[in-house]
Amino acid sequence: MNPTPMPHLTSEEIELWAQGILGAARAMHLADCSLCRAEAEQERKVILELAQLRRFAPSPDFADRVMAKVRIPTRSGEFTP
Amino acid sequence: MAWAKEGHEAAFRELVRRYERPVFSLLYRMVRDRALAEDLAQETFIKVLNGIKSYRPEFKFSSWIFKIANNAGIDHLRRKSLDTLSLDGSPDAATPEEMGATALQLGDKAETPLQELEARELGTVIERAIARLRPEYRACILLRHVEGYAYEEIAEMLDLPLGTVKTYIHRARNELRGYLADKRE
Ligand SMILES: [Zn+2]
Repeated sequence: MNPTPMPHLTSEEIELWAQGILGAARAMHLADCSLCRAEAEQERKVILELAQLRRFAPSPDFADRVMAKVRIPTRSGEFTP
Repeated sequence: MAWAKEGHEAAFRELVRRYERPVFSLLYRMVRDRALAEDLAQETFIKVLNGIKSYRPEFKFSSWIFKIANNAGIDHLRRKSLDTLSLDGSPDAATPEEMGATALQLGDKAETPLQELEARELGTVIERAIARLRPEYRACILLRHVEGYAYEEIAEMLDLPLGTVKTYIHRARNELRGYLADKRE
């Protein structure tokens, strides 16, 4: 007799799977369900691409320009309410 | 963050150094204009550092910065009409052909070095796909999958109900999948 089929993976479960942290019991569903497998593979591709996006740097003098406009409290603590 | 409240210049600089790339990257991907993203990032840090006394320690510091950065980005996008935002030319460039037609201009020699840099940095298939998302979706998906924040944290940062954040992220991924499939056929 076949066991009762498990429900399809939810969007959140697929996200967990793509990150490699979905529990084994639910991940097993992918072996039996081509529908979820196709969905999960596509989601994983997008999630991986996003995770690999580079971090851009602002211009080298960015911090100086910020600091020029920030009020620096003095050691004597004038910058208190 | 108590040390930041002490307010020494070195501590402020360290905060800027630590967060300038993620904050700038988020804003750059939202407005797709380097100079403008730097202005908005600068505005963000000035607001954060000058308002450090009002920082509530129960709120994660990075969440606070991203909240202010996102507000700056979204405010800007609301003020500006959407049709000048995308490097793809018009957001109505619905087909890969239309996107390709405008993409040809990216290598144009008449461009300034800054525009060439922007085209290089934001011209990849995935960056163009992100650019086509609604700003709200864009912020959610970047905070989730680029910065790695939990849904709950994103909801707090963006002042959105948790369910809305989940829906936005799910829809954003679906739209990205569609754009990526289009471009790679
Ligand atoms: Zn299934």
